[in-house]
Amino acid sequence: MSGKIAIVGAGPSGCYLAQALLKKAPDLQVDLVDQLPVPYGLVRYGVAADHQGTKGVARQFARVFERQGARFFGNVAIGRDVTLDQLRAAYDVVVLAAGLSADRKLGVPGDDLPGVYGAGRLTRALFEHPEAEDLPDLGAHPVIVGNGNVAIDLLRLLAKAPDELDGSDLGEGPSRWLAESGIETITITGRSPAARAKFDAVMVKELAKLSDVRIEVVGAGDSDDATEMKTLEALSAIHGHGAGAKRITFRFGLTPKAVEGEGRAQAVRFASETGEEVIPCTSVLTAIGFEAAPGLPRDVLISEATDTEAGRLAPGLFAAGWFRRGPRGTIPENRADAKALASVILDGLSADPSRVGCEVFDGLDNIVDYAGWCRIDAAETEAAPEGRCRTKLATRETMLGVAGARETTK
Amino acid sequence: MKITILYGTETGNAEMLAEDIQSEIEADHEIAISNLEDFAPGEFDAECFYLLVCSTYGDGDLPASAQPFADAMEAEKPDLGAIHFAIFGLGDSEYDETFNHGPKKLAELMIAHGAHQVGERVAHDASGSDMAEDLAFPWAEAVIAEVSEKLGEAA
Repeated sequence: MSGKIAIVGAGPSGCYLAQALLKKAPDLQVDLVDQLPVPYGLVRYGVAADHQGTKGVARQFARVFERQGARFFGNVAIGRDVTLDQLRAAYDVVVLAAGLSADRKLGVPGDDLPGVYGAGRLTRALFEHPEAEDLPDLGAHPVIVGNGNVAIDLLRLLAKAPDELDGSDLGEGPSRWLAESGIETITITGRSPAARAKFDAVMVKELAKLSDVRIEVVGAGDSDDATEMKTLEALSAIHGHGAGAKRITFRFGLTPKAVEGEGRAQAVRFASETGEEVIPCTSVLTAIGFEAAPGLPRDVLISEATDTEAGRLAPGLFAAGWFRRGPRGTIPENRADAKALASVILDGLSADPSRVGCEVFDGLDNIVDYAGWCRIDAAETEAAPEGRCRTKLATRETMLGVAGARETTK
Repeated sequence: MKITILYGTETGNAEMLAEDIQSEIEADHEIAISNLEDFAPGEFDAECFYLLVCSTYGDGDLPASAQPFADAMEAEKPDLGAIHFAIFGLGDSEYDETFNHGPKKLAELMIAHGAHQVGERVAHDASGSDMAEDLAFPWAEAVIAEVSEKLGEAA
């Protein structure tokens, strides 16, 4: 089967989709387009720096380019460098797999005070995304609002002693920032009761390995549901762990009502089962989900979609991963999703040989191809200092410099 | 030798390794490969040697694609007394408490139904520095040699 397919976003969903498409139809031309000069999206910038095993899926994605014939067009922003309409005219099928990178806001008074930071903003800075803002001063007493895996990632990284980051790819600047953070307490709050917290039990159990913490779980309650019991068992297993310097407190059943403070976040006011509670803090870290970043009109596309469940937005236009489903689901769920979408796409594919495909990118400067990414990858791996597996190039300019000129891909 | 590679996967890493093992040994043997979710316990064939490749997921659980197979084994209770298998596990020591529990459970399931395990269960650690194939290729060669000797065939 022939045909030209462009996937916007070279993160895990886009790469799994390319893998599944090319497995079923090896003669397709599949092009992955990313606004960053580097591929793999959240595997590089979302999966925590100390979870290198989880990042191992990147080896599969490398095969998609190296053996299955997919091509990478990095540093190309759809909506800026090429319009979505131009892309759709050039390819038989366009799939939007651009993820959701903007932090969902609390939506309560004071949520825009200085000292309130989204998890995406913080993790981008920690993991050296080229568009990250600076790492802010969190003060001695940050409060994390949110009970998903992202919240636990943040908690764990903030709580780690420097030597517990050995083997990670956390950069020099972020490592120093963590070491000098001066954090004394971290309170993590969830709206639901503990039993219905969204984090995975295994993520909670991992906290029992932290060396410099004291963990207290307050008001976990009980349940007789099997899944809920797993969560509660994990929480019970870490309750009372450690005698270290950083005090970690888990709280549940707290719904944020306002962030309070004079010119800066100094407390969060919560509604609780028994009334209200004010927790003083030096910063508020929100990890309550993500939404679309500006660039692609996701809300309009989804609201006008023919069949969102199947990933069909319009004729020849599909959505995958978080961009389709919202910010839920881990790497394997996106893989299963991508396999299902590949079948949907191939069932309806009719190739039009007059489509120009990647010629639509002709004339754009500084496109990074897969070989360019390999040069970046090699430079980063070679530059890894003692105790780290990689030193990321942290700016677009240095990436483009190392990637060098693109070899012709036509 | 007739060999079937069966893999249980969640992220696709075990599938990739299974395919790599297939490429590595297919010149010398008659190889079939199947995802465990597409394999029924009734298909086990005593003429065939089974190489299992399996990951761990979640809290020491079997990966998603091995789950239907495990359910079918429980339901059908096949007699695997004539079946020989070897097993290679993929895991992540970051989660040391449940490291390689998926393949361990799969091996126990096979043995509980009478199957004979050849060689030790070898485990790759995603947080370690080895490539999975660098451990898996020598493992495959060793267990194939061992089963050849055991079954009195020419290697």
